[in-house]
Amino acid sequence: MTLAPTRQTETSPSSFEKEEKKSGWTDSFFHVLVGGSALVVLLVLGGLVLLMGYGGREAFHIFGLNFAFHNVWNPVTNEYGAWAPLFGTIISTLIGVMIAIPLAFGTAFWLTAIASPRVSSVIGMAVQLLAAVPSIIFGMWGFFTIVPFVARHIQPFLTHHFRHTPILAPLIHGAPFGTGLLTAGLVLAVMIAPFMTAVMRDVFSAVPPMLRESAYGLGATRWDVMRKIVVPWSRSGMIGAAVLGMGRALGETMAVTFVIGNVTDVGWSVFAPRSTVASLIALQFPESPAGSVRLSSLLALGFILMLLSFVSLALARTLRGDTK
Amino acid sequence: MTDTQQPAAPQNALTVRNLNFFYGQHHALHDVNIDFPARKVTAMIGPSGCGKSTLLRIFNRMYDLYPGQRAEGEVMFDGRNLLENGIDLNIMRARIGMVFQKPTPFPMSIYDNIAFGVRLHERLTRAQMDERVQDVLTRVALWGEVRDRLHAPANGLSGGQQQRLCIARSIATRPEVLLLDEPTSALDPISTARIEELLDELKEEFTIVIVTHNMQQAARCADQVAFFYMGRLVEVDTADRIFTNPRQQQTQDYITGRFG
Repeated sequence: MTLAPTRQTETSPSSFEKEEKKSGWTDSFFHVLVGGSALVVLLVLGGLVLLMGYGGREAFHIFGLNFAFHNVWNPVTNEYGAWAPLFGTIISTLIGVMIAIPLAFGTAFWLTAIASPRVSSVIGMAVQLLAAVPSIIFGMWGFFTIVPFVARHIQPFLTHHFRHTPILAPLIHGAPFGTGLLTAGLVLAVMIAPFMTAVMRDVFSAVPPMLRESAYGLGATRWDVMRKIVVPWSRSGMIGAAVLGMGRALGETMAVTFVIGNVTDVGWSVFAPRSTVASLIALQFPESPAGSVRLSSLLALGFILMLLSFVSLALARTLRGDTK
Repeated sequence: MTDTQQPAAPQNALTVRNLNFFYGQHHALHDVNIDFPARKVTAMIGPSGCGKSTLLRIFNRMYDLYPGQRAEGEVMFDGRNLLENGIDLNIMRARIGMVFQKPTPFPMSIYDNIAFGVRLHERLTRAQMDERVQDVLTRVALWGEVRDRLHAPANGLSGGQQQRLCIARSIATRPEVLLLDEPTSALDPISTARIEELLDELKEEFTIVIVTHNMQQAARCADQVAFFYMGRLVEVDTADRIFTNPRQQQTQDYITGRFG
């Protein structure tokens, strides 16, 4: 401590220069390091798109752009189209998100505005634990619990009451297997809701305390503050949470493969077995020989799934009014 | 302090007796006794952490939002102890308004920022509400600047305008007391001067309690000044007396800049 200043004054100019050189070197090293990490992101992203697109070129070549909208997946005749798994992916995701959003919003709202801090921290912890459960666990749970429940209770109940109702009847038509779009949507909802809840809770608690206090200071109730201050203030964050959950649902493989029934077909019934892009790839990839049209079609499916995720992200940014 | 009060002293809006405050285990205010004369400006000064903002936040029970914070003692307002359990906080807070260190416009239009608080307590027709909005905006000298964009988002205003909007919002519910917690600390000198002028006009109608770090501000605006140090009220007197001839050495040291 006492030595340092004296030495510096003795050899002031030269040590100053040395110091500068050294810091210049560490600076550029650091720049390369962080710049490199950022570059890796671009390389990986570009690489993935290229690999999927290039691997799927044969499928796109044979079936053309029609590949995306053609409802056929027939390994026997070697004819492939992405419409059935795309349909399954989109509908199961929409069902999941539509169930998860109110659930997540309600839970996050309750945790932030109504529950006592102690209860809130316990439940909040449980929510985070639930969000950390691996998807294979949800798959097995769905298979052993939700599938039989849907087969024995939900579907018979709905069939019994709405069999002849117009519009509803075709939606619930089908044999009670228990697997299908609705079951997949339910499992997806349970999977993504905790995640969305955790994000929404963070968004709600990020509202500046002074802003809340200003509203309380005017005599607002907790309900007023939540509804008129916190929710409008967190709008973009909530949309972000919903889209993050949706992104997870779009690509979810294991849990969905367990409960969706894995039939490549398209139709209105939410109880009929379907398949999704991810489940189809997971099931058929191991049995598709290298260089086959089938493998190429699976890679093309992967390419389309990536596009779908990008589109949903872009959509979210537009909804948020985020121009950056 | 009783000896400095003139016999014809105005009635007190707030009367604090034996007030103690705790943040969990931390004893933040010790046996505070102080009166806030109606329709006067009282400034609370003192170094950071002395308890002045804590006291301000007791007056509208803002501490209630946070578990572990509690107050003991008496704060009499309109014949009732504000610290009682039976007090209706929402009505009480409408009668005791508060303005914060930084402008806190709500994420809505200028008009709705003002209507927000009013709608919580009164049912007004559209015309009455328009009138109320114009009235309070005029009183904070903001009407001319925003009359053409009442329905634009309030975040678009400058910092000084936002703070005047926040004051307008607070007086729109027609409170009796206005609490200001360092209202100009985030503002430039011109905006600050406008707020200070505004306080001078507002005190004809409201009892004003202002926390400030700015000694000149206290000297300019306040009728009564209270000096706090380490959770205790050291001295309270007229602004003239505090700044020219304080009785306590500590006060003298603080206002002359020897510590703090």
